[in-house]
Amino acid sequence: MPPSTCLRSFAQLSLDASAHHGIAPRLLRHPTACFSTSAVRYAAVVKKKGLKAAPKKGEKSLNTKKGRKAPGGGDMGKRPAQGERKAQRKRIVLSNDNALNVSSLQDLDSDNVLRQANEGKVMGLPQANPVDPLKPSTVDALRAVEAFKTSQGWSLFRRPAVLMMKEAVQLAGLFSEVEASAAGAPKKTIRRILCGERMSGKSTLLLQGLAMGFLRDWFVINLPEAQDMVNAHTDYAPLPNSQPMQYTQDTYTANLLQQMLKSNGAFLGSTRLSTTPNPPLALSANATLKELAALGMANPELSWPVFVALWKELSLPGRPPVLLAVDGLSHIMRHSEYMSAEVKPIHAHDLTLVRHFVDHLSGQKKLPNGGIVLGATSQSNAPTSSALDFCIQVAEARQKTPDNVPQWNPYKKVDVRVMEALKDLNSDSSDFDIIKVGGLSKEEARSIMEYYAESGMLRHQVNEGFVAEKWSLAGMGNIGELEKASVRWRL
Amino acid sequence: MRIVPASPSYFSAKPTFTDDFLSLSALLRKVATLPVIPPTEAPKVAWKTIDQYRIMTNEPVKTARYHRMLQILRRLNCIHPSLMPDEVVQAMLRYKKPNQPGEVQPAPGVIDELGRAKGVGRRKTSSAVAWLVEGEGEVLVNGKSLSQFFGRLHHRESAVWALKATSRLDKYNVFALVQGGGLTGQAEAMTLAVAKSLLVHEPALKPALRRAGTITRDPRRVERKKPGHVKARKMPTWVKR
Repeated sequence: MPPSTCLRSFAQLSLDASAHHGIAPRLLRHPTACFSTSAVRYAAVVKKKGLKAAPKKGEKSLNTKKGRKAPGGGDMGKRPAQGERKAQRKRIVLSNDNALNVSSLQDLDSDNVLRQANEGKVMGLPQANPVDPLKPSTVDALRAVEAFKTSQGWSLFRRPAVLMMKEAVQLAGLFSEVEASAAGAPKKTIRRILCGERMSGKSTLLLQGLAMGFLRDWFVINLPEAQDMVNAHTDYAPLPNSQPMQYTQDTYTANLLQQMLKSNGAFLGSTRLSTTPNPPLALSANATLKELAALGMANPELSWPVFVALWKELSLPGRPPVLLAVDGLSHIMRHSEYMSAEVKPIHAHDLTLVRHFVDHLSGQKKLPNGGIVLGATSQSNAPTSSALDFCIQVAEARQKTPDNVPQWNPYKKVDVRVMEALKDLNSDSSDFDIIKVGGLSKEEARSIMEYYAESGMLRHQVNEGFVAEKWSLAGMGNIGELEKASVRWRL
Repeated sequence: MRIVPASPSYFSAKPTFTDDFLSLSALLRKVATLPVIPPTEAPKVAWKTIDQYRIMTNEPVKTARYHRMLQILRRLNCIHPSLMPDEVVQAMLRYKKPNQPGEVQPAPGVIDELGRAKGVGRRKTSSAVAWLVEGEGEVLVNGKSLSQFFGRLHHRESAVWALKATSRLDKYNVFALVQGGGLTGQAEAMTLAVAKSLLVHEPALKPALRRAGTITRDPRRVERKKPGHVKARKMPTWVKR
């Protein structure tokens, strides 16, 4: 009630009270204005609280009011904009301003990246292009091909750096082997599957491989997450005149072209088109490959023909070796989530991009200028693919105990196409094999822990006993567990 | 000719007890001058309980009197062991329990021809067997690495706590088989198993391991549910009517 009304009613009340002594107490009990009774009449009847009958014994009552928000109050904060949450979830943070700069950290460059002497050293990934600071650096290229994962600990340190494990040096050896064969007529195509236990650094090894490719000026094509290709989140369309039917993924391919453009832009920009694409594309006669890729990027319906044309260009003699990589291999070793027109599941190998990769992994097609095909398995996001698991087991046994190779369990369902694609793993050719990742040696563990300590993220003296203890607790030098135990779970 | 009973206490209510008491008193009087050691250093003896003594003699012996006799026995037990007369040893034998503490010794662990020492540990409903060999600190639990088997760092530390507390983690390799119960039980069962097998390799570590708490088995387990209760202790909610 506004104050003026209050005062007036109070004055009226006191007048009345002085006039009629008998009714004064009653009036005082109802302090309302004499000239109006509406307030009393419209006043809501106050219900007494807590008079509800208690629930009977054994009877359950549903409290529907619980959890309902108050009409005026409650959480009225601003909701995040569309896509903001996903962006936050997928954000890649590659530096931590609070971490110290490690002065002794040496950068990888095109000269030292394949050196065997790097074994057991922590090396920085170059953040600036040594030739032209305005051109994208290795870190930019790796970021463009989505090689960094959110689950990796890049955000803990001042700048991205990697430990050159013995497997990384082994991979560097393969790069040297391919480059050495570049002069000879049959250029080498080496295929490797990276496997190992959870958090053993398979994806990071793949990243190291990509970094080697970028530094040695290879043409790098990375399929960052195999799951994205097969989980039916992007559009697909049947490829005309294909027998059996294949399916293109136009948006995904256009995005891949964009990634290739960003990461391999220097090569694409400097190379002219020398074949005529079929079907003909709207390009000038001496267009660069960059224009070709940009065409596919801008017109997703043309992206697959553009990819094919680009691949044909890359297959010409004199072009750089190619690095093909995929992470999460078991996703593409099974049926995809896509459906055909007959409402049958489409096998992942019937998707054009996947088939392109698998043909090169299986050795059905060779990389004409030589190169490496890398597939990394995953242990945390991996659907069952018994054929892939079995082939890896066999390859592992052939490396360790050649006289005791496991046999296929005939009562298990077999995916024939996968078995067919991976059958080379069971042969004696050294081109197709696995790289078993995991289990740092104590020297490697010490080297990476010294890096942690120098970054200021590990506040403990790194001595032999401490390294041995963490090495044991991390399951015999599992690098992810080592990082967790020494940096993330600091007590 | 009057027949005289062999014992003068024949006509008392508890003749055997009286005889025992008198003979022990006489014995003590005889050996009272021998040097003694403090009672804390005397050999530990489990004397018969009053019930066992009553059954043996078939007499209603009073507790207080039996305790008085035990005092004499304890005093006899304090005679210096090197000077203990054979007569006293024979006399005390009658009042000792058939099994003395520390008599039953577990068979000492052995290191087999492959250098393994075995230990068994239990906690809650889990049991673990661990084999310890000299090595570089590799641990396998049921064929998996420590980090694969135990997701929590706390469990991993519990499992190798005996080695960590004695800073022997990088000196031995462990192979363990665990079964039953949950992860906490399995990890702590492994603590005991590893400690026992470590004792086979280095028996001198026992005090250190006891201080680390890896010698004693934790006897706690889930308390049983009782009738009328919702769980072991929880009562149903009170309802007015």
